[in-house]
Amino acid sequence: MWNKVRERYYIAYVEIKQPLEAVVAPDGYTGVAVVLRFLGRPVGFFMQGGAGIAADELATAIFRHAGKQILSEKVYADLRGSLDTSPFPPLDIAICTHGRPDALARCLRSLDAIGLPCDGIRVLVIDNAPRDQQTASAVKEFPRVHYLVEPKPGLDFARNRAISEATGELLAFLDDDVVVDPCWLEGLREAWAANPDAGAFTGPILPLELETTSQVVFERMGGFGKSFERVRFANVLPESPTYPVGAGVFGAGANMVFRRLALDQLGGFDDALDTGAPLPGGGDLDIFYRIVRAGYPLVREPKLLVYHQHRREYGRLRHQMWTWGLGTMAYINKSWRHDAAHRPEIRRWVWWWLCYQLSKLFAPFLRRNRAHWPWDMVVAEVAGAIVGLCGEYDRSIARVERVRREAA
Amino acid sequence: MKWRVISIELSEPLAELPACAGYEGVRVVFFQNGVPLGHCRLAAAQLPASPQHLANQASNAIALAVGDYLLEEGFRSALPGVPEPQPESPGRALRSLVRLKNPVQELAHRLSAQVESTVTVSIAVCTRERPEALARCLASLAKLSEPAVEVLVIDNAPQSGRTREVVELFPGVRYVCEPQKGLSTARNTALALASGEVVAFVDDDAVVHPKWLGRIRRCFSDSNVMVATGLVLPAELETQAQMIFEESFHFFHQGYRHRRFDAKYFSTTRNKGVAVWEIGAGANMAVRRTVYELGHRFDTRLGPGVFGGCGEDSEFWYGILAAGWSCVYEPSACVFHYHRRELNDLRRLVYQYMQGHVAALLLQFAKYRDFGNLRRLLLRLPAEYAVLVLRLIVTGFALDQRILLRGALGCLAGLRFAFRKPQQA
Repeated sequence: MWNKVRERYYIAYVEIKQPLEAVVAPDGYTGVAVVLRFLGRPVGFFMQGGAGIAADELATAIFRHAGKQILSEKVYADLRGSLDTSPFPPLDIAICTHGRPDALARCLRSLDAIGLPCDGIRVLVIDNAPRDQQTASAVKEFPRVHYLVEPKPGLDFARNRAISEATGELLAFLDDDVVVDPCWLEGLREAWAANPDAGAFTGPILPLELETTSQVVFERMGGFGKSFERVRFANVLPESPTYPVGAGVFGAGANMVFRRLALDQLGGFDDALDTGAPLPGGGDLDIFYRIVRAGYPLVREPKLLVYHQHRREYGRLRHQMWTWGLGTMAYINKSWRHDAAHRPEIRRWVWWWLCYQLSKLFAPFLRRNRAHWPWDMVVAEVAGAIVGLCGEYDRSIARVERVRREAA
Repeated sequence: MKWRVISIELSEPLAELPACAGYEGVRVVFFQNGVPLGHCRLAAAQLPASPQHLANQASNAIALAVGDYLLEEGFRSALPGVPEPQPESPGRALRSLVRLKNPVQELAHRLSAQVESTVTVSIAVCTRERPEALARCLASLAKLSEPAVEVLVIDNAPQSGRTREVVELFPGVRYVCEPQKGLSTARNTALALASGEVVAFVDDDAVVHPKWLGRIRRCFSDSNVMVATGLVLPAELETQAQMIFEESFHFFHQGYRHRRFDAKYFSTTRNKGVAVWEIGAGANMAVRRTVYELGHRFDTRLGPGVFGGCGEDSEFWYGILAAGWSCVYEPSACVFHYHRRELNDLRRLVYQYMQGHVAALLLQFAKYRDFGNLRRLLLRLPAEYAVLVLRLIVTGFALDQRILLRGALGCLAGLRFAFRKPQQA
């Protein structure tokens, strides 16, 4: 809002090898975002203003942002020994989409580039309440991709449809506005081989483009979380008094893989979350929370990497922050109701969350680096959260009931 | 609230970590060739843990320490109060990081070929009426891989003969009675009587790692180093009090990477207050006797038995740094400490620690006229307690935070130190 300057960041993909080459942004870019890879593995991401990064400066930045990760990957490889990734169960990849044929085609092309679908791996496109034939005709270009229609509007209706259509042991969900990294499938195979008992796998979500101020601001606020540390979560985390309520640490719905049996056992996604407007969120947090609470390990694997196209317009980004607050608190409301044993953790988390939002507002005064979080974004998120806490979940249940009746 | 303490040696192939009944989980410390590199906690629900899972946990926990041991720069530990050190030549540092092959094997190779040192070391255990703990400590000293020139037990103001009886069970251990009460006095006596060039102090409620002595001895190959401290790991976490002490307070834990505090560090942080209390713990430290001969003493107005529960060690280190010498923290020289088991003892300990800390700040200011000490006392500490009060509210008055808050009372009590009549040393 106060950003008078238009921001536009160039995304550079740097393979860490010797010698390093300077990163130079083409004309018109105000900064550089660097995706760091080492021996094909993503190990870090950072953003920096300016027209480029000199080789020496780049080495310093690599050390700061990925030094530990590079070393811990080497230590891991050393301690783990070789890993047999050949046994891999059948997998279904579900892409739920609604009126975004171009983005969907881009996503399918990125899957096609790594040879998907193939034997044992199906790709399902679930067209959610389509208004025209555009999505159907976009999918026609990919003859091996299965196309399904879910008439009831709502992302979680579509996701549940995917669960009932899926046949594989694993079921992956991708958003239509993502592009998968070439090492995505390899990452999943490795994560599976090391954790055959896991209930879910998630991975980092990096920006596909940073062409507008809105996208840059979103990424600077933290984006979807970009930890490259490999973590195997269980239903307790000794260091955290609120775990696992802040389910954002696990990942996001744009990039998640589940053991289908676990989803069946939990009754799938909650239709009343992630309904599309006016409550387009919370469903992913809810399923992560329930998976972890049910005792399934959840694995965050850095190689399971996708790139997401963020909102391009500033106004829509603000609306997205509102829906994040709304969705998060609808999910909190639901968990409070259904998981009485965990209420102390939930209460502590809500309390912590509010304090955290406050600290975001004061961050520009406390720290040198100004405005990681523009105040209007924080206000939008908090306002959404307040509305979310005031019975949004019940309103959503009523709306979803209506949708169901109309469909019947 | 009890956690099992486990050591895993990485030079052996990782095995599955079994579940442990009756515990909330395990706290694993990873060692390579007996050198501690990092730790992690696994809750009971995460057990049994597969070798892959352990490998992953270990790789996240030990990466920084491995980098510190193997690479010239890039993974140096930050010193308290100064910005993190950046590699001087980032290009070269990155090149060596990228070229590094099989870091764990490489580290094993590197650690087995350590330099030898000819410095002679006496061990001193200062104790007061804790015969069972002392016996445990002396038993661990008997198992050292390289023996000390002597082991002294300084019995401080004994009320019974039990300490002497315990010492008589260990042949070769020398019993010294120091009638004047106070840990500082006992430490000075040890420095006066010891015959080695270095005196290594270990608390009576700790047990040492078999390679402890050899590792702390090597620190003194550098002639500028006058004090070396080491890592203090928990020997057990059987009660809530021990768990809080270890996981919430970090009084002892200074990390798994080597640190060097020298005259340059002292002059940089002098105006802000030199964080000497973060050099290490008096429970595990060694002092070169040269400084005693030069007139440095543990101040007998401070320390357990006299005033507060600590501070005599950090005040001593302050004097060493002020005189231009260096102190090092060497995590590979580790001991295992039995923390207080009862919550009430822990409360008293926090109170006494802060009392001693404030007294040490006052004394350092009186001796060296460094206003940084007052700055710490009058600005930093109140600010820390203000934050603590906020955190107390946010966490819904969690027990560990409540106990920490008692430290504020200790601080106030510590201020009394300024008005005490000078005591005869």
